[in-house]
Amino acid sequence: MLTAAMLVLAVISQQSWAAGVRGTAKSALAPLEAQMISLAAGFDRVTAIFGDIASLRADNQKLSSENQDLKRQLAELQAAGYDNKELRLALDFQRTFGHRTAVAAVVGRGPDAFSRTLQIDRGTLDGVQVGMIVVSGAGLVGRVRETGLHGAIVQTLADPQSRANVFLSGSGLQGTVIGGPAALQLQLEHRIGAVASKGEWAITSGVGGGYPRGLVVGDVIGVTHSDAATSDAALVRWTNDPSTLSLVIVVEDFTPK
Amino acid sequence: MRLATGLFLMLAATLLQVTWASQLEIAGAFPNLVLIAVIGLTWCQGVRVGLLWACAGGILLDLNAPGPLGPHALALLTGVYITGFWSRNLDRESPLHPAVAAAVSTVLYSLVLVGADAALGQPIPPVRTAMQLTFAASVYNAALMPFGLFVLRRGIAVLHWEAASS
Repeated sequence: MLTAAMLVLAVISQQSWAAGVRGTAKSALAPLEAQMISLAAGFDRVTAIFGDIASLRADNQKLSSENQDLKRQLAELQAAGYDNKELRLALDFQRTFGHRTAVAAVVGRGPDAFSRTLQIDRGTLDGVQVGMIVVSGAGLVGRVRETGLHGAIVQTLADPQSRANVFLSGSGLQGTVIGGPAALQLQLEHRIGAVASKGEWAITSGVGGGYPRGLVVGDVIGVTHSDAATSDAALVRWTNDPSTLSLVIVVEDFTPK
Repeated sequence: MRLATGLFLMLAATLLQVTWASQLEIAGAFPNLVLIAVIGLTWCQGVRVGLLWACAGGILLDLNAPGPLGPHALALLTGVYITGFWSRNLDRESPLHPAVAAAVSTVLYSLVLVGADAALGQPIPPVRTAMQLTFAASVYNAALMPFGLFVLRRGIAVLHWEAASS
């Protein structure tokens, strides 16, 4: 009986005409989750009262943030250098980040490891729509998958179902980043004379129109190359850590093609 | 009173799950506190109580997950159903049985979750990744189950809840 009821609920709530009600219901818990996040932060502060842990943590966060920012700048410079070398590839993607954006707080995370999602406190009333891309100061976070009035669910790059087309800042090889539980998996084109190497930056290529060109995804931490293979594989360390992200930026005027 | 306390327990477990549990990630997996709670309730209170709270907890999880409402509830119901068989036929006091029940329930939960997504046309993770995550999560949940059961039993003793007939 209960199983049948849940099946019916799943089928009904999946219908397109039920999307509004579903989104509203899903954003109903957002205020409670925001309270829970702030409670957890308060608990962290209380436990850090003994000693200098709090100040050290703040310093560490600040330095980490600055470090991420520098890494992003470095990657963007490398990307710019590559673009100049390749005569900008004659592609007409908007490279400067002159987009309209909205800052959103992360109020929750996906309940299971199969869907690495974030819940944010901005919804349709704030102009957030399904398909919009989400970034942070460190680089690409993911894409808005569902929206409610006051909240939205973001599918992150770590989600096993996520895909993003990228190029590498050093070798210029193109490939597709696939989400994964530990590091992101990168499937690379096989080009004679070019091999990916550790430390290269994976940057969105704009190919396919899913993401704008020039967003930092992560750095290569391992490469599997075989001359006989038709493609190479690599592991990419994502620049964002979804378990510690607290603020993200929704790009409101980029429409995936 | 029992209803309010149960709802509070499920809401607390869900909020902890979606705000805090992911920080305990090991090998890509993190514990499922709602699953541990409903398996614990089934073990202590019987399968009927477990099924009801599985529905409530599952819908609360669905409210925080992408896709339709229902798959998490369905997945939890499966786990509770198996645990009900287990708890009726084996020693309820042993800490080993609930841990193994949690591990088996996690595997079934994951299978139903991925299967429901596939049936409803939702995107599903690659098989290898799903297996890896399921294995890690089942070990994680099994390790936490005895502790969860201990806390639940203490709470039940304090609230003077009597086990329902199963």
